Amino acid sequence: MQIDVNEYKHENEYKELIENYAGKPESLLAIMQDIQKQYNYLPRLAISLISRHVGIPVSRVYAMASFYKAFSLTPKGRFVFRVCDGTACHIKNSETLLDQLQKSLGIKPGETTTDGMYSVETVNCLGACALAPVMVVNGKVYGKVSPGDLEGIIKEYGGQNHGYDNQGS
Amino acid sequence: MDMIIKAHDDRQTILVCCGTGCTANGARDVFNALQSKLKDHPDIEVLPVVKATGCNGWCEKGPLVRIIPRDITYCSVKAQDADEIVDKTLLEGILIKRLLYRDPVSKEHLASHHLTDFYRKQHKIALRNIGEIDPAQISDYLEREGYQALKKALQKMDSQEVIDTVKAAGLRGRGGGGFPAGNKWQACRNASGQEKYIICNGDEGDPGAFMDRSIMEGDPHTVIEGMILGAYAVGASHGYIYVRDEYDLAVQNLGQAIKDAHSHGYLGNRIMDSDFSFDIELVRGGGAFVCGEETALMASIEGRTGEPRDKYVYPTEKGLWGKPTVINNVETWANIPVIILHGAEAFAAVGTENSKGTKVFSLVGKVVNTGLVEVPMGTTLREIIYEIGGGVLKKRSFKAVQTGGPSGGCIPASLLDLPVDFDSLTEAGSMMGSGGLIVMDDHTCMVEVARYYVNFLAGESCGKCTPCREGIRALLEILTDICNGQGRMEDLQLMEDICLTMQEASLCALGRTAPNPVLSTLRYFRDEYIEHIKNHYCPAGVCRELTTFYIDPEKCTGCTLCVKQCSADAIKGEKKQVHTINESECIRCGECYRVCAFDAVQLGRRDHHEN
Amino acid sequence: MKIKLNGKEREAMPGESILELCKRENVPIPTFCYHQAFGGQGACRMCMVEVREEGQKEARLAAACTYLLNREAEVITESDRIQRIRRTIVMLLKRRAAGDPILKELADAYAAPDLEAVVTEPENCILCGLCIHACEEMGKSAIWSMFRGIDKRIATPYDEASDDCIGCAACARICPTHAISMEEKDSKRIIWNKSFELVACRRCGKEYATREEIEYLKERSDYGQENLCESCRKKTLAITVKNYI
Repeated sequence: MQIDVNEYKHENEYKELIENYAGKPESLLAIMQDIQKQYNYLPRLAISLISRHVGIPVSRVYAMASFYKAFSLTPKGRFVFRVCDGTACHIKNSETLLDQLQKSLGIKPGETTTDGMYSVETVNCLGACALAPVMVVNGKVYGKVSPGDLEGIIKEYGGQNHGYDNQGS
Repeated sequence: MDMIIKAHDDRQTILVCCGTGCTANGARDVFNALQSKLKDHPDIEVLPVVKATGCNGWCEKGPLVRIIPRDITYCSVKAQDADEIVDKTLLEGILIKRLLYRDPVSKEHLASHHLTDFYRKQHKIALRNIGEIDPAQISDYLEREGYQALKKALQKMDSQEVIDTVKAAGLRGRGGGGFPAGNKWQACRNASGQEKYIICNGDEGDPGAFMDRSIMEGDPHTVIEGMILGAYAVGASHGYIYVRDEYDLAVQNLGQAIKDAHSHGYLGNRIMDSDFSFDIELVRGGGAFVCGEETALMASIEGRTGEPRDKYVYPTEKGLWGKPTVINNVETWANIPVIILHGAEAFAAVGTENSKGTKVFSLVGKVVNTGLVEVPMGTTLREIIYEIGGGVLKKRSFKAVQTGGPSGGCIPASLLDLPVDFDSLTEAGSMMGSGGLIVMDDHTCMVEVARYYVNFLAGESCGKCTPCREGIRALLEILTDICNGQGRMEDLQLMEDICLTMQEASLCALGRTAPNPVLSTLRYFRDEYIEHIKNHYCPAGVCRELTTFYIDPEKCTGCTLCVKQCSADAIKGEKKQVHTINESECIRCGECYRVCAFDAVQLGRRDHHEN
Repeated sequence: MKIKLNGKEREAMPGESILELCKRENVPIPTFCYHQAFGGQGACRMCMVEVREEGQKEARLAAACTYLLNREAEVITESDRIQRIRRTIVMLLKRRAAGDPILKELADAYAAPDLEAVVTEPENCILCGLCIHACEEMGKSAIWSMFRGIDKRIATPYDEASDDCIGCAACARICPTHAISMEEKDSKRIIWNKSFELVACRRCGKEYATREEIEYLKERSDYGQENLCESCRKKTLAITVKNYI
């Protein structure tokens, strides 16, 4: 497994987070969540360290990471725009928001701008259906978002609508 | 003009709903503003307390601010209203009219949300404390009969009596399947083995349902008390609450509640000085809809991918770590303390013959009043949607209501008088599921709705068994073709064949119920499928490949609303002049069609012979 | 324990699966994901049968490989319902592995229609999971099922050469649809994006295993110490035994 040399700089931090939990399979989910929360993704080195700590093959840790939506295998942007595509939001045209975000940021759901600033994701339901369509940016919930509102929201996070032409990776 | 309130109470409390919905609308700012405003008045004799409460369920009108005991509800409150609320309402007893809810029919301003149709027709059991207490304060819960049921059980009932009470109450699992909770508990109690587990399934995954979030956020202690009672009944010493990772506030409030329950002696060793010990651990879910399935959820707790297993042996015999386990969902647990404290009879007096008690629905979609509603089982869809929900948004025509999420189906207008319970919904080809009610109007395409759910499941199925994984894949391809105008009539039969095998042969309930959105729309809205296939026409104007829009010059008033909403800049037109849509620029998102208040944007047919 | 199997009374051992009983009684049931070494997984659903346990009113459909018999029951392995299920499953799987002879044969047997091949490149893998079990059994777990839903597939982490893979090809050998690509050329074996040196048998000269596999087996047991292929190892063993006698 190829590990980015930069990740070794954080090796001790990873270990510290990992060793908060007992080295057994049932700790796996919690450890992965802590790492994800801290680094916005699961670095390769961390996956390999987790594997050793809980005694589960790397393939199974990777399988967990790819199975559960809470985890990302690649670094996410500083600001993550999560557009809810739950049923209530869907029938209130959440798709149009995604189209608009694609136009403004140049990225599709699941992608991150090359400068590492923004990621766009869809989420199945945020449980705020009464406010459909809903979008969350780094934990802040925006309700009843119309395509016209997006320009202002993107600006809040340092972006310029239509002027931002960073193509996605 | 503001109104005068007659009675003055010594002690007033301001409750600010700080559920996810209200927070999104700025409830925290309102809360902070009220708190700092009150700091300026240390000399005031009345001592108002500001409390952040859980989700009231009326998220549509949030942020909600309530003043008790006078029972005043202010809607859509902003931080800058704080001064006025304190100065006028608290100190002078004057109602602020503009913040009151105005009944859309009678045009009357109502002083309290309790007087609105939205609340009046509800019957709260599971949601009894939501919005009434500060979830972070165990004392609030204790003031409202909190842990009284536990006290009663430990002091006056043996474990079998607890189970018998739950059985007699006729409580069925609120997570979807509707399995009688008492029977489940009995099976677990009877199972051999010393080690047993209790699990609360808080992995609410149905898109469009949020009652479990609301309960976990707004009244975490009722879930905990319910679980302790369950553990006492079956003889378990350890429990898990598996919460959806997306629910940050629920995780936070449950964590605090577990801590407080410990320090008050309701959790831990020798609970309330009895011989009974029990502990609860909080597990954050990994983000997988399939983990709502109990065997997948248990696999997840054990540190594996959430793949279900065949349930020929029930979890009550072999569950978590192979030990007897009772797993119920949040709403089910929330009902338990009420049943134990007030008895089975009182609970069973509400509801229908085979579905007792109430059910919480999340009423969302194209409906006037959205939010959580708790009604007796057997309430008709019409009552819920029209009397509580206030009917379809913008007075459009009702097309269908989707119940049960991706496991459920779409119910047409002809069945609006259906009394809702577990069995009636199943008979109608849908499901109770966790209680999502999504109202759809004539702007909703039923083929696209079926495609939406199948697409949802394509990403959420665990992918282990053939019928579910491959069946979904085939259905998705066929439905996508139909939405794109490339469907064939024989596809309808093919889909029905695939659906049948998925229902019969899939490994878990996700796969077995996955065909419901397809089958129910085929059953009630077959014409719409045929329109797509034969005439390449989407009557709702949703399927982009089959739709064009044009502006009727007779009807257009030149209001520019559509021009502003058009994200493709495809609509041209000055104020008070007829607008036009440039078809080559148009991305067919339909935003103009939906926003036009004059029905000037019309649906056209798109020729599809080029295929 | 008495089981009525297709109308005939048979004796089953408590806790054994319906499939195991059927195998013993020579009642044919098609399977993809079952292997006697690992038991049933309940994944492919080809082995669906109808079961009615004592006290139950109606027969239910169940996967023969995961349904364990603990009570007297009636089992039917062929019916219209079962035929229909198998036909659909074969129809669906055939799209994944269009060229595979086993699926062709089953498609003929169950008269499964062709679904239009939307998939341009057949992956051949039907996700039975036997390779994962074989690799796990070797003690390596270099591969696992990754992602979920319709994107689920068997892979190594990051689709890269895995440190855990020893190139033993147990996965490729057990695969019923020959979906795992393996190339052997110039004393090299390429599998799962990793290249391995093949070692020749000291006695007959046949290339019989990868260097990594031999090293790994030496670590685990004294097996493989002599650098002999399977058949030569048996032969030398026979000679040793003969001399000893």
